[in-house]
Amino acid sequence: MSKLSIICFSGTIDKLTSVGVLAQAGAAMGMEVSVFVTFWGLMNFTKGEKKAIMPKEFEAYGPMMMEGMKREHVKSWYEMLKEAKEMGAKIYACSMAAGVMNIKKEDLDPIVDDMVGAATFLQEAEGGQILFI
Amino acid sequence: MEKLVDSRGSACPGPITDLSKAYRNSQVGDIIVLWATDQGVKADAQAWAKRTGNEILEMKEEPDKIVIKIRINKR
Repeated sequence: MSKLSIICFSGTIDKLTSVGVLAQAGAAMGMEVSVFVTFWGLMNFTKGEKKAIMPKEFEAYGPMMMEGMKREHVKSWYEMLKEAKEMGAKIYACSMAAGVMNIKKEDLDPIVDDMVGAATFLQEAEGGQILFI
Repeated sequence: MEKLVDSRGSACPGPITDLSKAYRNSQVGDIIVLWATDQGVKADAQAWAKRTGNEILEMKEEPDKIVIKIRINKR
Protein backbone atom coordinates (compact mmCIF):
# COMPACT_ATOMS: atom_id res chain seq x y z
CA MET A 1 0.00 0.00 0.00
CA SER A 2 1.37 3.46 -0.80
CA LYS A 3 1.88 5.91 2.02
CA LEU A 4 1.23 9.57 2.63
CA SER A 5 2.89 11.15 5.64
CA ILE A 6 2.07 14.72 6.55
CA ILE A 7 4.07 16.82 8.95
CA CYS A 8 1.58 19.34 10.35
CA PHE A 9 3.85 22.12 11.58
CA SER A 10 1.64 25.18 11.09
CA GLY A 11 -1.06 26.33 13.44
CA THR A 12 -3.07 28.60 11.17
CA ILE A 13 -6.44 27.57 9.82
CA ASP A 14 -5.49 27.86 6.13
CA LYS A 15 -2.69 25.35 6.42
CA LEU A 16 -4.65 23.10 8.77
CA THR A 17 -7.35 22.98 6.12
CA SER A 18 -4.75 21.74 3.63
CA VAL A 19 -3.69 19.07 6.09
CA GLY A 20 -7.32 17.99 6.47
CA VAL A 21 -8.03 17.91 2.74
CA LEU A 22 -4.91 15.92 1.86
CA ALA A 23 -5.26 13.49 4.76
CA GLN A 24 -8.87 12.79 3.84
CA ALA A 25 -8.16 12.57 0.12
CA GLY A 26 -5.18 10.27 0.72
CA ALA A 27 -7.22 7.96 2.93
CA ALA A 28 -10.02 7.94 0.35
CA MET A 29 -7.45 6.96 -2.27
CA GLY A 30 -6.62 3.94 -0.16
CA MET A 31 -3.28 5.30 1.00
CA GLU A 32 -1.85 4.63 4.41
CA VAL A 33 -2.01 8.13 5.91
CA SER A 34 -0.20 9.40 8.95
CA VAL A 35 -0.14 12.94 10.28
CA PHE A 36 2.69 13.99 12.55
CA VAL A 37 1.69 17.10 14.46
CA THR A 38 4.45 19.31 15.75
CA PHE A 39 5.18 22.83 16.97
CA TRP A 40 2.45 25.36 16.12
CA GLY A 41 0.29 22.62 14.75
CA LEU A 42 0.13 21.03 18.16
CA MET A 43 -1.63 24.04 19.65
CA ASN A 44 -4.78 22.92 17.83
CA PHE A 45 -4.60 19.33 19.01
CA THR A 46 -5.30 19.77 22.69
CA LYS A 47 -8.71 19.09 24.22
CA GLY A 48 -11.35 21.75 24.05
CA GLU A 49 -12.42 24.38 21.59
CA LYS A 50 -10.35 24.88 18.43
CA LYS A 51 -9.34 28.44 17.64
CA ALA A 52 -9.34 29.58 14.02
CA ILE A 53 -6.11 31.53 13.70
CA MET A 54 -5.54 33.29 10.38
CA PRO A 55 -2.00 34.02 9.21
CA LYS A 56 -1.12 37.66 9.88
CA GLU A 57 -0.58 38.59 6.24
CA PHE A 58 -4.00 37.30 5.18
CA GLU A 59 -5.94 38.37 8.23
CA ALA A 60 -8.06 40.82 6.24
CA TYR A 61 -9.31 37.93 4.08
CA GLY A 62 -10.38 35.85 7.08
CA PRO A 63 -14.12 36.61 7.02
CA MET A 64 -14.27 36.13 3.24
CA MET A 65 -12.49 32.80 3.48
CA MET A 66 -14.69 31.52 6.28
CA GLU A 67 -17.79 32.63 4.41
CA GLY A 68 -16.59 30.93 1.22
CA MET A 69 -15.87 27.71 3.06
CA LYS A 70 -19.35 27.75 4.55
CA ARG A 71 -20.93 28.50 1.17
CA GLU A 72 -19.04 25.68 -0.55
CA HIS A 73 -19.75 23.26 2.32
CA VAL A 74 -16.06 22.74 2.98
CA LYS A 75 -15.76 20.79 6.20
CA SER A 76 -13.54 21.98 9.01
CA TRP A 77 -10.00 20.59 9.13
CA TYR A 78 -10.97 18.74 12.31
CA GLU A 79 -13.92 17.03 10.66
CA MET A 80 -11.75 16.14 7.68
CA LEU A 81 -9.17 14.55 9.94
CA LYS A 82 -11.93 12.61 11.66
CA GLU A 83 -13.09 11.36 8.25
CA ALA A 84 -9.52 10.38 7.39
CA LYS A 85 -9.23 8.50 10.66
CA GLU A 86 -12.43 6.61 9.96
CA MET A 87 -10.69 5.38 6.82
CA GLY A 88 -7.60 4.32 8.73
CA ALA A 89 -5.42 7.43 9.05
CA LYS A 90 -3.29 7.85 12.15
CA ILE A 91 -2.46 11.07 13.98
CA TYR A 92 0.67 11.40 16.07
CA ALA A 93 1.80 14.21 18.33
CA CYS A 94 5.47 15.10 18.49
CA SER A 95 6.73 14.37 21.99
CA MET A 96 9.44 17.02 21.93
CA ALA A 97 7.15 19.86 20.81
CA ALA A 98 4.59 18.74 23.40
CA GLY A 99 7.29 19.02 26.05
CA VAL A 100 8.28 22.48 24.87
CA MET A 101 4.65 23.64 25.03
CA ASN A 102 4.02 21.90 28.31
CA ILE A 103 1.34 19.72 26.76
CA LYS A 104 0.88 16.36 28.49
CA LYS A 105 -0.38 13.22 26.81
CA GLU A 106 -3.67 13.53 28.71
CA ASP A 107 -4.11 17.11 27.40
CA LEU A 108 -4.21 15.89 23.80
CA ASP A 109 -7.43 15.82 21.81
CA PRO A 110 -8.85 12.27 21.49
CA ILE A 111 -8.24 12.53 17.73
CA VAL A 112 -4.53 11.97 18.45
CA ASP A 113 -3.56 8.30 18.43
CA ASP A 114 -0.24 8.50 20.17
CA MET A 115 2.67 10.65 21.18
CA VAL A 116 5.82 9.66 19.34
CA GLY A 117 9.31 10.87 18.46
CA ALA A 118 10.70 11.95 15.11
CA ALA A 119 12.37 8.60 14.53
CA THR A 120 9.05 6.75 14.72
CA PHE A 121 7.55 9.12 12.18
CA LEU A 122 10.49 8.77 9.78
CA GLN A 123 10.35 5.01 10.12
CA GLU A 124 6.63 5.00 9.30
CA ALA A 125 7.08 7.47 6.45
CA GLU A 126 9.92 5.64 4.76
CA GLY A 127 9.30 4.86 1.11
CA GLY A 128 6.19 7.03 0.86
CA GLN A 129 5.33 10.63 0.11
CA ILE A 130 6.10 13.17 2.79
CA LEU A 131 4.51 16.61 2.98
CA PHE A 132 5.59 19.41 5.29
CA ILE A 133 2.72 21.80 5.91
CA MET B 1 -25.65 -4.62 -7.60
CA GLU B 2 -25.94 -0.96 -8.51
CA LYS B 3 -25.50 1.58 -5.77
CA LEU B 4 -26.17 5.32 -5.92
CA VAL B 5 -23.87 7.63 -4.02
CA ASP B 6 -25.22 11.16 -3.80
CA SER B 7 -22.40 13.64 -3.09
CA ARG B 8 -24.08 16.69 -4.51
CA GLY B 9 -23.12 19.84 -2.65
CA SER B 10 -20.12 18.20 -1.05
CA ALA B 11 -16.76 19.92 -1.63
CA CYS B 12 -13.50 18.16 -2.43
CA PRO B 13 -12.47 15.67 -1.04
CA GLY B 14 -16.05 14.79 -0.06
CA PRO B 15 -17.17 13.02 -3.24
CA ILE B 16 -14.09 10.82 -3.44
CA THR B 17 -14.51 9.99 0.25
CA ASP B 18 -18.12 8.98 -0.30
CA LEU B 19 -17.00 6.88 -3.28
CA SER B 20 -14.30 5.24 -1.20
CA LYS B 21 -16.77 4.40 1.57
CA ALA B 22 -19.20 2.84 -0.91
CA TYR B 23 -16.28 0.90 -2.39
CA ARG B 24 -15.46 -0.57 1.02
CA ASN B 25 -18.95 -2.03 1.22
CA SER B 26 -19.00 -3.26 -2.36
CA GLN B 27 -18.23 -6.51 -4.11
CA VAL B 28 -16.53 -7.28 -7.41
CA GLY B 29 -19.01 -6.70 -10.21
CA ASP B 30 -20.94 -3.99 -8.40
CA ILE B 31 -21.63 -0.68 -10.11
CA ILE B 32 -21.36 2.54 -8.16
CA VAL B 33 -23.09 5.59 -9.58
CA LEU B 34 -21.65 8.77 -8.11
CA TRP B 35 -23.47 12.08 -8.25
CA ALA B 36 -21.40 15.16 -7.52
CA THR B 37 -21.30 18.88 -8.15
CA ASP B 38 -17.65 19.59 -7.28
CA GLN B 39 -15.83 19.94 -10.63
CA GLY B 40 -12.69 18.31 -9.25
CA VAL B 41 -14.51 14.99 -9.10
CA LYS B 42 -13.98 14.29 -12.80
CA ALA B 43 -10.20 14.10 -12.53
CA ASP B 44 -10.33 12.73 -8.99
CA ALA B 45 -12.58 9.81 -9.85
CA GLN B 46 -10.21 8.88 -12.67
CA ALA B 47 -7.22 9.06 -10.33
CA TRP B 48 -9.11 7.01 -7.75
CA ALA B 49 -10.08 4.36 -10.30
CA LYS B 50 -6.51 4.13 -11.57
CA ARG B 51 -5.14 3.71 -8.06
CA THR B 52 -7.69 1.20 -6.86
CA GLY B 53 -7.85 -0.79 -10.10
CA ASN B 54 -11.49 -0.08 -10.87
CA GLU B 55 -13.14 1.08 -14.06
CA ILE B 56 -14.98 4.23 -15.05
CA LEU B 57 -17.75 3.10 -17.37
CA GLU B 58 -19.30 6.47 -17.97
CA MET B 59 -18.85 10.09 -17.03
CA LYS B 60 -21.40 12.66 -18.05
CA GLU B 61 -22.23 16.18 -17.14
CA GLU B 62 -25.88 16.90 -16.56
CA PRO B 63 -27.20 20.44 -16.00
CA ASP B 64 -27.35 19.98 -12.22
CA LYS B 65 -24.70 17.35 -11.57
CA ILE B 66 -21.83 15.21 -12.78
CA VAL B 67 -22.70 11.53 -13.07
CA ILE B 68 -19.93 8.94 -12.90
CA LYS B 69 -20.52 5.24 -13.28
CA ILE B 70 -17.83 2.97 -11.87
CA ARG B 71 -17.51 -0.79 -12.08
CA ILE B 72 -15.81 -2.48 -9.17
CA ASN B 73 -13.25 -4.87 -10.64
CA LYS B 74 -10.96 -5.21 -7.69
CA ARG B 75 -11.41 -5.53 -3.97
